[in-house]
Parts: sequence; structure tokens; C-alpha cells
Amino acid sequence: MRPFTYTRAKDATSASKLLTGNPNAKFLAGGTNLLDLMKEDVERPSTLIDISELGLSDIKTISSGTNKGGISIGGLGKNTDAANHPLIRQNYPLLTQAILAGASGQIRNMATNGGNLLQRTRCPYFYEVAMPCNKREPGTGCGAKEGINRMHAIFGWSEKCVAVYPSDMAIALAALDAVVNVRNASGQERSISMADFHRLPGDQPEKDTILTHGELITSIELPRNNFADKSYYVKVRDRASYAFALVSVAAALETSGNKIVQARIAMGGVAHKPWRALKAEQLLVGKEATEANFKLAASAEMADAKPLEHNAFKVELGNRSIVLALQMAMNGGKA
Amino acid sequence: MKEKDKVVGTPISRIDGIAKVTGKAPYSMDHPVKNPAYAILFKSTIAAGTIQDINTAAAEKAPGVLAVITHKNVLKLNVKGGLRGGALLQSPEVDFFGQNIGIVVAETFEQARYASRLVSVTYDKKEPKVNFDKVADQARLPKDKEKADAERGDAKAALSQATIKVEEVYETPIEHHHPLEPHAAIAEWDGDKVTLYSSAQIVNGAQSAAAATLNLKPEQVRIVSPYIGGGFGSKGGQWANLALTAVAAKQVNRPVKLALTRQQMVNSVGMRQHNRQKISLAATADGKLTALAHEIVTHCAINDEFVEPCGDCSKIMYETPNSLITYRVVPMNLILPTYTRGPGKSTGSFALESAMDELAYKLKMDPIELRIKNEPERDPSNGKPWSSRTTVQCLREGAKAFGWDKRKPEPRQNSQGNYWIGYGVSAGTYPAHQRPTSALVKLKRTGDNVTATVELAAADLGTGTYTILTQTAADALGLSIQQINMKIGDSDLPPAAGAVGSVGAASYANAVNDACQKITDELVAKSGKQFFARPTAAQLMRSEKLTEYQTRVDSKAPESAEEYSAHSFNANFAEVAVNKSTGMIRVNRFLAVTGAGQILNPKTARSQIIGGNVWGIGMALTEESVVDPRWGNFVTRSFADYHVPSNLDIGNLDAIFINEKDEHVNSLGVKGIGEVGIVAVAAAVANAVFNATGKRVRDLPITPDKVL
Repeated sequence: MRPFTYTRAKDATSASKLLTGNPNAKFLAGGTNLLDLMKEDVERPSTLIDISELGLSDIKTISSGTNKGGISIGGLGKNTDAANHPLIRQNYPLLTQAILAGASGQIRNMATNGGNLLQRTRCPYFYEVAMPCNKREPGTGCGAKEGINRMHAIFGWSEKCVAVYPSDMAIALAALDAVVNVRNASGQERSISMADFHRLPGDQPEKDTILTHGELITSIELPRNNFADKSYYVKVRDRASYAFALVSVAAALETSGNKIVQARIAMGGVAHKPWRALKAEQLLVGKEATEANFKLAASAEMADAKPLEHNAFKVELGNRSIVLALQMAMNGGKA
Repeated sequence: MKEKDKVVGTPISRIDGIAKVTGKAPYSMDHPVKNPAYAILFKSTIAAGTIQDINTAAAEKAPGVLAVITHKNVLKLNVKGGLRGGALLQSPEVDFFGQNIGIVVAETFEQARYASRLVSVTYDKKEPKVNFDKVADQARLPKDKEKADAERGDAKAALSQATIKVEEVYETPIEHHHPLEPHAAIAEWDGDKVTLYSSAQIVNGAQSAAAATLNLKPEQVRIVSPYIGGGFGSKGGQWANLALTAVAAKQVNRPVKLALTRQQMVNSVGMRQHNRQKISLAATADGKLTALAHEIVTHCAINDEFVEPCGDCSKIMYETPNSLITYRVVPMNLILPTYTRGPGKSTGSFALESAMDELAYKLKMDPIELRIKNEPERDPSNGKPWSSRTTVQCLREGAKAFGWDKRKPEPRQNSQGNYWIGYGVSAGTYPAHQRPTSALVKLKRTGDNVTATVELAAADLGTGTYTILTQTAADALGLSIQQINMKIGDSDLPPAAGAVGSVGAASYANAVNDACQKITDELVAKSGKQFFARPTAAQLMRSEKLTEYQTRVDSKAPESAEEYSAHSFNANFAEVAVNKSTGMIRVNRFLAVTGAGQILNPKTARSQIIGGNVWGIGMALTEESVVDPRWGNFVTRSFADYHVPSNLDIGNLDAIFINEKDEHVNSLGVKGIGEVGIVAVAAAVANAVFNATGKRVRDLPITPDKVL
């Protein structure tokens, strides 16, 4: 890796200030993705600002504001702790399932919640510096679009980039309408909904999120909901653990009798961001929770897919996975 | 010694186990040397062409850099010295993506790697041949005479007349060995002699190839390789990195450590080739094979040829009057393929044993009965009697142990919740050979305590060689295993065969046993006494009051072994569960039944077999190295992209050994088990997937998208 300087930040505001002062500086938290990318020469920060000791790791009930009664998860808390916390297990089992579906135990022990949201694509053309990649080096072209793209996007891709966003946790957060709280160097805070946090690639695939340089993720808020007993995360992958999703689906339902009151569906492995299946959700509201209705909703959503040369299977797999996730959700998440 | 005291055949734990788990066993990069420098290779970013210019100025000025070596300033090496894969920096020509084009040597690994990024290269590019589909029709007859067309009878004619046939094409992708220990070496010069601490499956082979490449005599090169962190064939023949480590050390006049990164492994140390195999079977209505044709198309390097022998199982597994085996190969701009666990037999058996399953289904016959029906009495390829053959026993005992009678012959008949359950079977084989190996035994007595040091340049891949040889020596000398000091993995020791092609255990154990028998004979003769029962060497050292005695033997297979066809055999049984919604496949149970002669240690043998099974399950379900068809780079360069099975993918693994005594193969009756454990495994899984779902997947790996 390239030589870099390393600074341990003392508090969130000074961390952001250090970052803002240097366009080539990066925050270092768990390091599970950033350090790999630095070794591969993909990320080339001149300075690392270590934020791992800033605290910001609490998991607690939100006592005021819009999301009062919901749960707040610290941006620098570890994935393992978030997945296993009783408040999360009881109220948001979907999030627990999604986190535990990702990476490995060792990685989850190191990886932070904020860092998980900011992990970069695993597109192999992004990872190999000898390859063209507009995300890594704007203007060099997309290696995957006409190359090996079995793992790539079927929704929302652009001529510039067909990469997919790799997180499992974020797919559940998207389905749960989570809100990401960030703070900048001047201490200004803003709240960004998960739907807006990540971007589609468009003409600027180098930008994964709408964060500005210097903003630090302080917490992630989960609003109260009535999904806890009817939610499920399906992750289809090439092996049963330690593999990125071919397609994943986070589904959550609130029902009255067998009638669907609210539905939330988000997909992973299909786009440059967590893909909210809004069409499917809208079709389900007010309907009976039947396999036939699940299939109608799924096929309405997947009808808009635009597969590439090697990933047409994701359309059928997406259809099946939505139906399966909804069925499993109706079963209370039990197989 | 009383039988109950014997340790051969008992499941003792590895004698080097504690050293390994406590980090005391030195692997290649662990050997202490004084003031080492660190080197890293840098590689081409095109697959075909010529280096026009290579600018190393910035790298040379980078902090800590001691030398940057390219084709412009490298020591002259012998490219025909026996290292595999070229890439020795001897010319500006580029034959594959990721070919070595230089070395940076620096004070630290990090400095070397950073500086390597500062090298800029311009190329004259040529259109690379990197798309197998596009060039497969240019495939030609291999130069290797073993791969000449082999025909008995007239298979094509028999096929054209047959009414019951299977004619299908089976594809297996490029795979990589990916041992946990990447290839690495330390080179330390002393005048005109160099010691290479490395990881070698063939210690003496590494010595002679490194010496020839470096234009040295073998005695000027010492290979030290006491422990190997896996090899699977990739550390059999050695690769450019070994000589280039010595070159770097010479250049900077210091010991140099050079390790490949995981990402560099994909184009540095060989791979398993992509095979396109057509199998044609014809049979009578009652299941007698009338023809078997196995036609293989594959690829090799631009300037060098290697073709794994995919037709080997088809040669000997079944009786048929008409047989045809052909190979065709096309040079491509990819690294030279090489031996990979179960070379040819693992991939060839996927094609053959899938086709046998397809034929059984067509005939509405049990696939086990179809195989037994075509059991050959002698080796069909050469007419020799078997030294022993256990295929039928493996199938029968396996069927019973596995509960094969619960299998539903028709697919999609066994449903459990959201899963289709399926059973699959296959049979396989791997040849058994004993190769020349020497061994030195040194006995020492202090008071009543006799100890032995046994020396031979054998290799332990991590599979238990130290342990089985210690057991063999202990029994043969009348000592306990604690009294044996086993020294292997050093070219200064008596020369030995490689731990390759499943010859290690038979070659080494027979040599050690021969040496121990010889030393006992010599001590008996020396005593001048007549004994009612043969005394042990330990007893003789005491009774004759000797303090030290040693002898050496040059051991080889008995000449009579040539009169027999000697192989290990197996039968594999797989139960899979296929998710009806997602196509994800789990191997619930896997049973391998193996006939491999005398099992020296059932515990390490079981580990070998189930390790081979996991490899085979990986071949069936997850492993694939993918080449970009435009540029020739591998897009699967890490364990995140190159999937080996995880614990969750496999339920219970079980191994049964047939209790057999092979009188002909060698004096201990030992056959190899390193390779046979992977043979035909992929077919058993694929056949189980068919039985579960009705989907016949003929191109591996069987990922979820292929069974949707």
C-alpha cells in the first residue's frame, strides 16, 4: 500500500475537521474493507483518521423526536453487537438476520455499522487496478458491462457502471425505513433516509452515497413498526455462508387477519443501492396475503429489470426470492 | 513385538500437530535468516505482446528499495531448467495476463509492494487468445504420446449401430489449487551455493530444477521444506518464483524473502485446465456397454503443453469391446495448466460417471447395478490382472451403509418441506505406484534406551507423512513412536520420491520399512547368533551393546509389481437437498468408500479422504476461476470470489475403508489415498442433484442459477 499518515481522533467533531482539511483523508473504523482496498491499491488515502475510539456505539431506545420509541444504533458499534442486542432481536429480527447473513463472524466482530453502510462494491473490475473502472478511476470505462457481469446489477445501472452494492445489513435497514444521522466538521447534523443515502451510479459512479467529505455517521435510527413478527431476510448465494448475494430480499409485513396493512420489500444484489421494491409493496397493501398475490407483486417489480449478458437468471431468482421472503415473513420468519 | 503393540494401522494423532497449532512448525517464510530483504513480483497487465518500455526510475527511488529487476537487468537463467510456466524475466515477450515482468526488493514487504506500483510499462499488444469458446475448434493433437488417440475395437461404428446411447458434452471450468500457504521462498547464498527455504512436494525435483535454471549444479542448491501448507499439485513442479527469489538475493547480496499474494496465485503457479469432454456410451438393453468414447478438448500455454489425463478412468473402469479416448489441445494466452488434485481422474470421472448415471436412468436400471454389470475382470487397457480391485465391494458396502435402498429412482419424488432430496452414486479409481526412494536409519543407545533417527527427502503436505513414517519405523525397529526422530523435507537427506500422484505413502513407507528391515538383518548378522524368533533392532542394539549403528537403503517397487495393474478404487454416495425456491444446494451427507490396501493410520487417512471429498464437492458446486474473455485476466482472484465450500454447505462426511490386503502392489501393500478422495465426487453430487430435481447439469459448478 501507499505510505499514509495515521491520526487517532479524540472526538467526532475534531475527526470531521481533520478529514475536511484533507481531500485525500479517510476515516478508519473497523477497516475490514478499507484496508483490503488499500493493499490492492484501489483506495489511496494519504491520511487515515482512526475513529474507532470515539464511542458512538450505543444501542438504545429513542426518547424524543420523530422516531420516538424506535431504536438508535451507534455508527461505530460493531455489527456483531447490533445483530445480537436484545432490543434488535426483539423488535427488528429482520436486521439481525440480515447482519448475520453477511461476511463471517470474525469480520462482523470488527466491522462497524457506519462502515457497513459505506462498504464499496465487490465488482472484480473495481478491485483490480489494471482494469478499467469508472467507479475507481472516472473516465476509464466500465470493465463489467461488456465483461463478466454475472454478479452485477439488473436495476438502475448506467452506461458508466453496472456494479452492485454489497451490504446485507443495509437491505434490511432500507426495508425498515431507517434513518442515517450524520454530523459534519462544523457540528451540523442532518438525517438522511436510507432510501436517499445511497445513489444510483448515473454519470458519477465514483459516488456511492450522498455524504459530503467530512460527514461522520453518528447513528442509525430504526422507527417503531409492527413488523417484528412478520419479517424475513432471504439471501441467495453461491454457497451457504461467506458469499455475497446473487439476490437478497428483506421483507416485512403488517397484517390484519390475512389482509396486508403494510408491506416493505428491499432487494440486495440487484442494484447500486438497496433496491426498494415499491411497486410490489404498493400492489400488496390491502390485499390478502396469498401466494398468488405475492407472485403478482413480485412479477410486477421484476418486470422492470434490465439484465446484462450473464445475469438474466436474477430476474427469475428475484421473483422467487420475493415470494419466498413474503411467505417466510407470514410464517413468522420460521422455515 | 506383539500384534497389540503395533502402531501401524492405529489412529494416532499427528505427531507434528502440537507444533503446528502452536506456531512452532516453520513454514517457508518462517525460517530465521539474518537481515532479510523482502521481494515482490510485479506482473503484466496484458495477455499477449511485447514489453516496449519498462520505467523503473520512480520505483528505484522509493523508500527502502534495494533493487528493481526486470528482463533488462536480470541474471541469465536457463528457461529449460525444469521450472514450470516460464515467466523468468528472460525476454520482453508476454504470453499471459499476470506474467511476472519484474521484482522489487526492499527493506520491508510494504516498501517493496508500494514501489512495485510505481513501475510503468508500455506494451506492443497483440490480440490475445483468451476465449476458449472461440479457439476450441483450433485444438490439435497433444505432443505428449500418452495423449495419442487410444482405440480398441471400433467405438464409432458401434455407436452408430446402437439404439441405446448417451452422447453428451460435459464441461469443467478452470480451477486453482489455492493452498492456504501461498508459494513463498527464502533464498540465502553462501558463496556459490544457495539454500532455498520453500515448500516443495518433490524436494529433489525442486533442487534439480532450481539448480538447472540458475545454471548451478544440484549440489550447489539446498531445498529446505520441512512443512508444506498445502500444495495439491501446485508445489509439485516448481515455478518461477523459486529461482527469482535466488536471483533477487544474489542481486542485493542478502537473504531475500519472496511470497506471492493470494491475488498473484491465479497466474503464478498453474491451474486446472478447462475441459470440454464428450462422452458417448452405447449399451444393450440389459446394460452391457458396447462402446465407450471419451473425447477431450482443452487448452495449454502458448509455448508449453500440459494436458491432464481426463480419459484415464474411462480406460479402466468398465468392460467394453469398443473404446476410444482422444485428446485435443489448443494453446492459449493463459498460464500453463498443471497437476491439480486427482489430475484428469477427478474431472474425467465427472464426465464418465455422469454419463453412466444418464445411461442407468435411460435403462431404468439401478446405477450401482449398471456399474457392477460392466465390472472388468482384468485391466481393459492392457490386459493385466488387477493387483486387487474393490469397486464392487466399495459399491455394495457403501450402498448398505448409506441406505441406498431408500433412494427413489425417479427425480422429484423425495420432497421435504421446501427442499428436493436426491441421492447420487459414482465410482472412481486412481493408480497406485511406488517410486524409488532412499532412506537412512541411525540407531543410538544410551543405557537401555534405544532411539532412531530416520532420514529421507520426503515431503509432508500437511497430510501426515511424518506420522505414518514414524509409525512404520517404530514397528519395524521395535521402538515406540517417541523414540523415533523423523527427518524429512531437506535435499541434503537421502533422495526420495515426491508427495505427488499418490505415490508418497507407498514410496516412503516401503523405503523406511526396507531400511529398518535391512538394519535389523545387518545387526543379526553382526551378532553372529541364531535366533528362534526374529529380534528387533532395538533388542539387538541392547544385546550386542552397540552405542551407534546406521544403514541406508535404496528402495524401489518389487519387479513383480509391473505384472499387475495396481489402483486404489472408491465409491461415492451423496445426499443433496435443493431449495425449491432458490436453487441453493446443500450436501446433507457424503460417504466415500475406499479400497486402498493397507491403511497406515485410519485417522490421517480419513482426513485425507474427507478433504478430497470437500474438494470434489467444491468442484461440483462452487469452484470456478473465471477469465475475462477479452483481456485474459482472472476476475476471481480471492477467496471472496473463488468459492470453496463452507461448513454450512456440507453436513456429515463419512469415510469407510475396505479391509483388503493387496499382495502385489508393494511389500507393505500400501496404495495412495491423496488423490482418490476427489475422484468421481463431483459426479456423485451432480447425479444426486438430478435425482432431486430432474435437472441434469453438465457444466460445473452447479450454482443456484443452473437448477432454477
